[in-house]
This record gives sequence, C-alpha cells and structure tokens, in this order.
Amino acid sequence: MENTTLSKRTVSFGLALAAACVINAIIVVVKEKSDAVMGAMKKVLGHHWTTHSALIVVLFLVLGGLLGMARGGRGIAITTSRFITTLVSAIGAAALIIIGFYLFVD
Amino acid sequence: MTEIILMAHVLFGVACLITAVWLFVDVLNVNEINLARIRRTSLGAAVFMWLAFLIGGYWYVTSYKVDKAIILKGPWPFAHNMVMETKEHLVILLLLVATYLPIVASENLAKSKDARKLMLWVTAAIAVLALAMDGEGAIISMGVKVALMHH
Repeated sequence: MENTTLSKRTVSFGLALAAACVINAIIVVVKEKSDAVMGAMKKVLGHHWTTHSALIVVLFLVLGGLLGMARGGRGIAITTSRFITTLVSAIGAAALIIIGFYLFVD
Repeated sequence: MTEIILMAHVLFGVACLITAVWLFVDVLNVNEINLARIRRTSLGAAVFMWLAFLIGGYWYVTSYKVDKAIILKGPWPFAHNMVMETKEHLVILLLLVATYLPIVASENLAKSKDARKLMLWVTAAIAVLALAMDGEGAIISMGVKVALMHH
C-alpha cells in the first residue's frame, strides 16, 4: 500500500481532528463523573463548557502542528484509506460515546 | 435581544449545513474552473460554523439557565438532560470538522482522487452533524414550549 498523496498539513490536522474528537468524548465522561474535574473546569474560564471547548480547539491546533513535525518535518506516513477510516471512525465513535453516555449512563 | 441572538445562531448553523451540502455536490463535479469557488465556499462554511458556535455559546452560557429551569419543570425534561447535554458536546465535533474543511479544500481536488474522497467524507460529516444539531435545537425549543403550555 502506498502512502497518501494528501499534503502533510491535511494528514496532520486530520489525525489531530480524530484525536481531538475522541478526547472530547472522554472529557465529557470524566467531567460528568467527577465533581472535582467539573469544578476545576468551571473555575478556569467561568463555565465548564467554555473551558471544555477551548481545551479541545487548542488541542486540535497544537496537535496538528506537532504531527506535521513528525519524521523530521515530513509528517505522518499513512495510506489514504487508513487515514480516512481513522478520521471517520473517530468522529463516529466520539459521537456515539457522547450520545450513549447521556442516553444510558448519566 | 436573547431571541435575536438565538435566531442568529440558528441562521449561521443552517448556513453551514446548506454550504456543506452545496460543497458535496460541487466536489462531485470538481474541475479547474470551480476549484477556487470550492475553496472560498469551504472557508465560508467554517466561518458560518464559528459564528454559529460563538453566538450559540454566548447564549448558552449567559441565557440558557432560564430555559433549562422551565424545561426541567415541564413534561419533557429529556430536552435538557439528554438532548441539550448531547448537543453542547457534539457541536464541538462539528466545529472541529468545519475548521478542518478549508485545509482539505486547499488540496488540488481536481487532480487528486484521495483529496476528493476525503472532501466528500468531511462535507458529509458536517451535513449530518449540522442536521443533528438543527433537530436537537428544535427538540430543546419544543421542551420549553410544552413546559409553558403545561402550566
């Protein structure tokens, strides 16, 4: 399988997007289950949702930049099908975790 | 004023949804001529989403507590407990995917099959998520309405 023809920027920010989506869902579960985490998030920017949003957006941007510097600045090597599967699966999994949590757990 | 803020939130959210569907179709017919338009429209979709997010976020943080109290006393408490809780976190996914869209659109979509495939997945994800946000918003509004009608 040949590596993707997509640019380094598209791949690095795509993988950052996948990671940020899953981490977003994990933070939802953790903050709803932990009063300490929820309280800390409320303190940082005045509202847990504002802190949560800012954290995920910054994570996406920073991670995208860092992944672009992988392999001596050449970025992550990955095939297109694996890249798209990773991205779409992460978005779908994150959505399912969030919906499932509020539907069945919380 | 809060109603205008809320309507602006919906307006920009729907604009993002329509733009994503438009882009999906445009990408299916991509060539060197519409490539610049696709890139501009992708940027437009991201801007619409950021406006919807910031306006909606401002309303959520400053004004939603009144609606929340009404919903929780009415016959549809799930409009907050399930729907709003889900919406406020799913929308972050939508914001990220919409932000990523102009990055994908910067590829040469006319020449790269890989980029076209990715662009179709990304625009489809935006359309599905935006439609879900729209539907959830409607349920939340209905939760307030049925609560007020109930009293």
